[in-house]
Amino acid sequence: MLVFAISDKGGTGRSVTSTNIAYRHALQGNDACYLDFDFGSPTAGAIFSVSSVARGTRAGGLHEYLRGELTEPQRIDVWAESDREGLRVKPPGAGRLVLLPGSEGGGELSTVDDEMANRCVQLFSRLEEEFDLCVVDVSAGRSFTAEMILQATVRLPAVPFRWLVYHRWTRQHIIAADGLVNGADGLLDVGARFGHDPEVLRERIRFVRTAVLESEAAELVGLRDEQRAWLSAYDGELRELAGRHGVGRTAMLGKVPLDPILQWREQLISDEDVLATKIANAETAAAFEDLAKKIMDDSAWEGL
Amino acid sequence: MLVMGEVHTGLLQNSGEVAASTCRRLLGLLAGQTVRVSRRPIVHAVSPDRLTGVDCRLPSASQSRVRGVGTVLTRCSITGGRVVQGSSYVRIVRAAVDRRLPWSHYLARPGVMEVLGKAKPRDLSDGFTDDLPGDRLSGASAGRTRPDPARPDPARGDRGPGWSGSAPLDLGAISGRFVDLVQSSPLLDRRAPFKIPRTRLRWVAESASESGAPAIRFTLHNDQLRTLRLVHDGEFTPAVAELCEDLALHDWLLTTLLVIVERALTGGAPGPEAVAKLTPAVDHLLHLWMPAARVDETLTPLWESLERYPGFTRQWQSLVDRIRDQISVNMLTLLIRKGGW
Repeated sequence: MLVFAISDKGGTGRSVTSTNIAYRHALQGNDACYLDFDFGSPTAGAIFSVSSVARGTRAGGLHEYLRGELTEPQRIDVWAESDREGLRVKPPGAGRLVLLPGSEGGGELSTVDDEMANRCVQLFSRLEEEFDLCVVDVSAGRSFTAEMILQATVRLPAVPFRWLVYHRWTRQHIIAADGLVNGADGLLDVGARFGHDPEVLRERIRFVRTAVLESEAAELVGLRDEQRAWLSAYDGELRELAGRHGVGRTAMLGKVPLDPILQWREQLISDEDVLATKIANAETAAAFEDLAKKIMDDSAWEGL
Repeated sequence: MLVMGEVHTGLLQNSGEVAASTCRRLLGLLAGQTVRVSRRPIVHAVSPDRLTGVDCRLPSASQSRVRGVGTVLTRCSITGGRVVQGSSYVRIVRAAVDRRLPWSHYLARPGVMEVLGKAKPRDLSDGFTDDLPGDRLSGASAGRTRPDPARPDPARGDRGPGWSGSAPLDLGAISGRFVDLVQSSPLLDRRAPFKIPRTRLRWVAESASESGAPAIRFTLHNDQLRTLRLVHDGEFTPAVAELCEDLALHDWLLTTLLVIVERALTGGAPGPEAVAKLTPAVDHLLHLWMPAARVDETLTPLWESLERYPGFTRQWQSLVDRIRDQISVNMLTLLIRKGGW
């Protein structure tokens, strides 16, 4: 399964959520890999705590591979190379967790040619042969990278893929997420141009809400009653807005609660962070766990 | 002087075993010539040989810049309708003259690469088997080469003495690309019963007349990368490459079975779930073990020495027994629970 993670705006927590999905999926006993296609800012290495590639790799990154400068991109075994003690040992029963870093200082793709799309096809095809889940972190907004992926997936008709569109629970984010999928030059529009059936493609796209404040969240305890009442009313408005924009409950795969730790540092949330040091909320880990299961679960992706 | 090769082995991306006739079509995609299919003791289909023109630096342990020009020979095979292999090799010989000749010269010598200038066989073979950039993990980042043209490109013929090619020969890239070709065929449904990485076996063969008594050394570098160094009696024949392919096949089977058993039996108590994870091995792999089935008689002693140490079949057999025992025990448990016993 190929999963493409995208968001219209920056700062949605796309990368941190996607890395955690890959991590949880590996913990659930599957082989997972993570491709850093956020070429403008390839920082997945930092989230996995692999400092040698914290801002992308100097040699062997995905950029160079797509440009045809090498035959295979570099791979990093997170269980072996992470600097975080808790990650450096592969838990019993866990699958492989491999990072394919972007190139340091690579920059966004400025164009996509046929050769590049071919190399992308070859890369996806090889990875899909050996990994249960390949998470591809695509840079925010409309980009040549997204275009290249839409081209590549048309050429791999037998390879299953899904898109996750991340957005925060705000008015602007909801409208933007809708635009990224349904708007002009959005995923469906561009996908159709390359030969995807828009209706089939739509069924392969789900939204993920990030940094969500639930009404019973601990963070709301200190608020005044007026604030709480306002939040509740506005939440209703947003729900109505989301419904109108096709970003409502039925098109949503899951949501990730607001967690202070992720506001300060983008990192993998391990069980140790929840149970031992208690720096992370159990709900956050549970949300990632849930997403990691649903991403492969066909019943969560049945037609609306 | 010596022969270098690299074999990539992987699971054919199809839900079930592929019939011999389909193998023929899958491998026929590579060229207009016939695909050889043998049916005993196991269905084995081999594509015609394909040539890739190369003009590049040769691997060298001392980092010397050794230039070679010639053609790499590649073929693909499918064993038991289940396992696909891409195998490339090249015979390295000294060139009669120290400059590049017209392509017709190299095309008349398929699978031969001529070394321009000085080179020591030892230096080249060490460079090929020891300089493994992909050793860091998974056999990836295997170098920056691209012996690009699928066929010799005469346009590159007039590169003069100013040649400064820095990309080393990458046989793995060629083998891998041929495996990709087969795997991307629309004849395959791509719903393989389990996910498993390809393995790559890099080998160097030398003749005993130059390098002492026949011997074989097999080394595991990481989960996917292996090297094999062998010294054979007499002159090199394609049978040596077939031996390496057979070894690569069995090493892949063993590696894959180990992974499946590990996935099923670590981290949890054995039970129906574990058995469900073991079933694909029974369905798709166990019957494929036929060591040295197609190995030339003169080379079987080399296989046999590997059977003594590390003992491929011994390990395979113990895994097979373990799988069968797990399944039997689980079946008994189920029967007892149902009160059927």
